[in-house]
Amino acid sequence: MLTALTIARKEVAQRLRDKSFLIVGILSPLVLAFIFNLVLGDIVRPDPSLTFDFGVVDEDGAELGGAFGQMLAAAEADGLVTVTRYDTEAAATAAVDADEVAAAFILPDGLSAAVLVMNQDATIRVVGNVDSSIGRAVAEAMAGRFAEIVRTASLSVQAALAAGAITPDQIGAAVAAATAAEPVLAAATVEVRSRQLASATFFVAGLGIFFIFFIVGLSVTSLLEERTHGTLARLLAAPIRPASIVAGKTLASIGLGVLAMAILAIASTILMGAEWGNPAIAALVILAAVIAAAGIMIFVGGLARTAEQAQNLQTVVGLTLAMLGGTFVPITTSEGFLASVRYVTPNAWYMRGLGDASGGAYGGAFQAIGILLLFGIVFGGVGLLLVRRVVKP
Amino acid sequence: MASSIVLEATGLRKTFGQLQAVKDISIRIEQGETYGLLGPNGSGKTTTISMICGLLPADGGEVRIAGMPMTTTTLEPKKIVGLVPQDLAIYPDLTARENLTFFGRLYGIPSATLKSRVDEVLKVIGLLDRANDRSGTFSGGMKRRLNIGIGLIHGPSLLILDEPTVGVDPQSRNAILDSIERLAGAGIAVLYTTHYMEEAERLCDRVAIIDGGEIRAEGTQEELVRLVGENDRIRITGSGALATAAERLRTLPGIAGASAADDQLSVLTGDAGAVLSTVLQELTADGVAIASVSIEKPDLETVFLHVTGKALRD
Ligand SMILES: Nc1ncnc2c1ncn2[C@@H]1O[C@H](COP(=O)(O)OP(=O)(O)OP(=O)(O)O)[C@@H](O)[C@H]1O
Ligand SMILES: [Mg+2]
Repeated sequence: MLTALTIARKEVAQRLRDKSFLIVGILSPLVLAFIFNLVLGDIVRPDPSLTFDFGVVDEDGAELGGAFGQMLAAAEADGLVTVTRYDTEAAATAAVDADEVAAAFILPDGLSAAVLVMNQDATIRVVGNVDSSIGRAVAEAMAGRFAEIVRTASLSVQAALAAGAITPDQIGAAVAAATAAEPVLAAATVEVRSRQLASATFFVAGLGIFFIFFIVGLSVTSLLEERTHGTLARLLAAPIRPASIVAGKTLASIGLGVLAMAILAIASTILMGAEWGNPAIAALVILAAVIAAAGIMIFVGGLARTAEQAQNLQTVVGLTLAMLGGTFVPITTSEGFLASVRYVTPNAWYMRGLGDASGGAYGGAFQAIGILLLFGIVFGGVGLLLVRRVVKP
Repeated sequence: MASSIVLEATGLRKTFGQLQAVKDISIRIEQGETYGLLGPNGSGKTTTISMICGLLPADGGEVRIAGMPMTTTTLEPKKIVGLVPQDLAIYPDLTARENLTFFGRLYGIPSATLKSRVDEVLKVIGLLDRANDRSGTFSGGMKRRLNIGIGLIHGPSLLILDEPTVGVDPQSRNAILDSIERLAGAGIAVLYTTHYMEEAERLCDRVAIIDGGEIRAEGTQEELVRLVGENDRIRITGSGALATAAERLRTLPGIAGASAADDQLSVLTGDAGAVLSTVLQELTADGVAIASVSIEKPDLETVFLHVTGKALRD
């Protein structure tokens, strides 16, 4: 253990001396985040004062159509949206295509009857403008939220009906009344924004985790380098166990990774007004993410024979994970291939953990921490087995 | 006195694929003794040393350090062995002092004495005034000296130096040889590999001539020279087809061996005076332009030529 610490200390001294830590771990993510935030910040985060222009086609013309219309009207009164009514779906679609509205809600004919009388599922469709992904996402979230409220309301109304508190012809009115009490847009906006960090924080965190992969990747590449430079033979000729060499390097990498992230968090808070939420939880998410990255990079590096090979492999993996994980550009869609595949990456869990930590959803944050640690343990465990064959002169 | 034997290697063997790099090598070194392994490139010096240091598992044979068996996994014997690898093995981003301190810690030198020990070694290798400079900024000779210093830091009983002067200017080389002589004088056992005959002659109490993974002759320099018999060596400098001339000379009566390297031709003979004119005639006939001729008494290079039939420097 003492030997591992001695080696870790040497490793840290080397990395701080050769500037790789400063450049890769701190400057690159910070400068890039600053630029990204300047250029892309407004696209990523809707301005809170922004209003969305929506269209609506009420082909239903019954209770639910009315309830939905009332809610839109309430949101409009709050200055959150503007609503234009269209008579036909074709007119609404044309307005969307012409960029007059960001999205349009289509309430199909017979919606109320299907849901309230026949107790069937039905859908409110959202026609979105491709150029307004945020507007479309908000509209989708609003429709989803409305469906949820209707579902809950109709359950309680069905119960009241079974108990004989109301008669069947009062169902529609009861549901509509229960529904109208719920603020849809507020809920919907929260829905869209939750699990998504403010833009400055998003970019620093996303670029930070991307570059951290390269900081922790050095645990294996430096081992391969020591082998080519002959210092590994020297270490192996000393009265120490090979495992301490690997342990020392891993320890140093994780320590430097956490240090880089901590500096990034503090610097971005001061310089860019980033918000990281509860510092203790955010720190745990960061530690777990660094351990996950270290595990994956040890595994990837362990497959290589030379330091150069290891670096190339690590770059490919680091980039792929960042892309898939939506670390560079936030993925706002809640559906689709990318949205589901991103959670195979530790990057996505890291961003989600931080998002939850900053939004106060600590349960979600701890779930992310657990999954990140699992990444680290599984990949790191296999990786260390692979690396054992490197620790030879 | 068995306890004074620091290194005892017996029957070491190592094969890489088809290549038998080391075939049955045995070495025994006593306290205070400097032992030289003299051999050309690829003769198996580094492979032998790697097995002695517990870096490379031997295919056969045994290594004992002060009586303790040495394998790749034993830690106890490694504590008293100091290795100076053939290729520079230092951390260029760390200063000389940091390099020495790091390895000192690995060898378990207590922190209380570590600093003074590092200073001592810095003095021995003449780097005290550059102690706090990054070793990457050092000259080649200074790096070599630091490379040696790291092998010394824990005060080993057996110091193993693998061609420590390769690529070093004559002045630095002299300084290095001086300090090794002092260390040997202080009582530590030294195993020194080289393909420079002069270094082996100057430093070593006993020399083994290694070629093709085997020890071809071993003993004190006197013993080795006696092996050659009364042979003289004719050394000729010149230009032309020296290699073919050497081949032809080897077939002549009265000539025990001949070899060519660069612009030099070495001829071994029982009586230089008797064959000199024949040799010169032969060379002229082969179109060799002769620049100088000298007759020398046998030295280690002559011994090498005698036991292996070829020159030490390819
Ligand atoms: N790891 C290895 N794998 C395959 N062959 C090897 C390996 N190490 C050494 N050899 C071969 O074993 C032979 C002896 O090599 P070694 O390094 O011991 O020679 P040496 O006497 O130290 O030479 P030099 O003076 O050039 O350092 C050489 O032919 C070399 O190519
Ligand atoms: Mg060698």
